Amino acid sequence: MSWLDNLSGELRARGLPRRDRQRIVLELRDHIACEPGCEDRLGDPRELAISFADELATSEARGSAFVTFAALAVAAVVLIISLITLGRFARYPGYSNGISTLLFFPAILGMVVAPQVALVAGTLAAWRALRRRRVLNLPAEEIALIHRRARVALAAGFATMAGLELYVIDFSERLPAWWLGLAGGLAAVAGVGLFAASRTLARARAIVSGTRGRRGDIYDDLPALGRRWLRTRPWLLGALASVAVGLALGAFEAHAEHSVLEGIQRGMFEGLVAAIGFVVLGRAIGARPAPTPVESTALAAPLDRLVADSDRARAELVLRESYAGGRLTLDELDDRISAVHAARTAAQLRAALAHIAPPS
Amino acid sequence: MKTDTLNGQLDPLILATVAEEPAHGYAILQRLKERSGGAFDLAEGTIYPALHRLERNGLVSSSWSTESGRRRRVYSITRAGASSLEVRRREWKQFSLAIEAVMG
Repeated sequence: MSWLDNLSGELRARGLPRRDRQRIVLELRDHIACEPGCEDRLGDPRELAISFADELATSEARGSAFVTFAALAVAAVVLIISLITLGRFARYPGYSNGISTLLFFPAILGMVVAPQVALVAGTLAAWRALRRRRVLNLPAEEIALIHRRARVALAAGFATMAGLELYVIDFSERLPAWWLGLAGGLAAVAGVGLFAASRTLARARAIVSGTRGRRGDIYDDLPALGRRWLRTRPWLLGALASVAVGLALGAFEAHAEHSVLEGIQRGMFEGLVAAIGFVVLGRAIGARPAPTPVESTALAAPLDRLVADSDRARAELVLRESYAGGRLTLDELDDRISAVHAARTAAQLRAALAHIAPPS
Repeated sequence: MKTDTLNGQLDPLILATVAEEPAHGYAILQRLKERSGGAFDLAEGTIYPALHRLERNGLVSSSWSTESGRRRRVYSITRAGASSLEVRRREWKQFSLAIEAVMG
C-alpha cells in the first residue's frame, strides 16, 4: 500500500469530511510528484491524519456550537414574537377551547419547558466554545461535551417550535388567520434553521479527535461557582439553581398576572422543571461536575519539566479537595498552596502534593 | 532543530515565506529549508496541517491552479496574515535581542 493510500485510509478512519480528505490527498500527491521518493520525510501518515483531525475537530466543534446558538436565537425570537402578538392583538383562548387537549398539553410543554432547556444547554455550549476559542486542540472529551450540549439544545429547540406548531393547529378555529399564519410560518422558518444547524453538528461529530485531557464542567465555565462548599456539593448547586429559577419566574408571573397565587403556582412548576432538568440532563451537559482530574499532566511529567499555570491550578484543586475530605488541616492547606504557587518544576509541584494520593 | 523546538514558530515561518510570493506546499517547504540552511528537521508533512490551520484562521487564502497538467493548491497571505506576521516579527526581535544580551 502506498503512503498516499495509507494517508487516505487514516483520514477516512478519523471521520474527516470528504471534501477535506480529497483536498489533503491531492495536495500531498502534488508534493510527492515534485520529488518522488520523499515520502519518508513527510512523516507517519497516521500522525499526519491525527493532527489534521484533531485541529479540525476542535474548530468544527466550536463552529457548530456557534451555529447552534444562532439557530436557537432565531427560534427564541420567533417564540417571543408569536407570544407577544398573541397576547396583544389576539386573545388567549381558554385551554379547553381548542381542537383537543391532547394537542394543547404537549404544545404548552414544548413552549414552556423546552425553551428553558434550550437556553441553558445552548448557552453552555456557546460559552465553552467562546471561552476556549484560542485553543488549537481541545481534549476529545471536551469536544464531546460541547457536541452534547449543542445536541440537547437543538432537540429542545425543535421541541419548542413543534410545540408552537401544535398550538397553532389546536386553536386553528379560534385564533385569527393572520396570527396562525405568522406563528406557523415563523416556526417553520426557525425549524429550517435548526435543521441546518443539526447538519453542521452531525458533520462535526463525525470527526475523531485523539487529544487527551479533562472535559471540564460547570465550575470551569463559571469560576464564580467554584467555592469549596459548593464545588463538593453539586446537588446543592442544582437545588439552589432550581429555587432561584422558581423564585424569579414566580415573581415575574405574580407581577404580570397581579396574582400571588398564580405566581406561587408558576414558581413551583418552573422550579420543579429546573430540578428535573438538572437531574436528567445535568451530567450530559456538564452542569454536574466531571470526575476530578485523574491524571494531572504535571504529576506524570519528567521532574525537571517547567510547570504551567494550568498545572498549578490543577494541583491547587487536588489540595482543596483533600482539605474538603479532611486529609489536610487549614494550616497545611495554606502552606501547600503557597508551595504550589511558588513551584517552577514538576518536582516542586509533586513535593507540594506529597503524601496526598491524587483522587481517582 | 527538531519539530519540538520549532513548536509555535512554524506558523510565522510559513507566513513569512508566503508573504514574499504565493506558493504551493512543496515550494514553501523548499524555501523554508533553503533559507534556514537545512537547520529545521521537521516531519515535512506537518506544514500541511499548519497551512490548513492558517487558512481556517484567515491568515492565508488558497486556490487551485493548474501547472503542466497538475492541480496544486497555491497559498497566499491575507491582510490579516500580514499584520499577524508583523506582530510576530516584532515579538521575535525583542525576544532574540533579550536572549542575546544575556547569553552573549
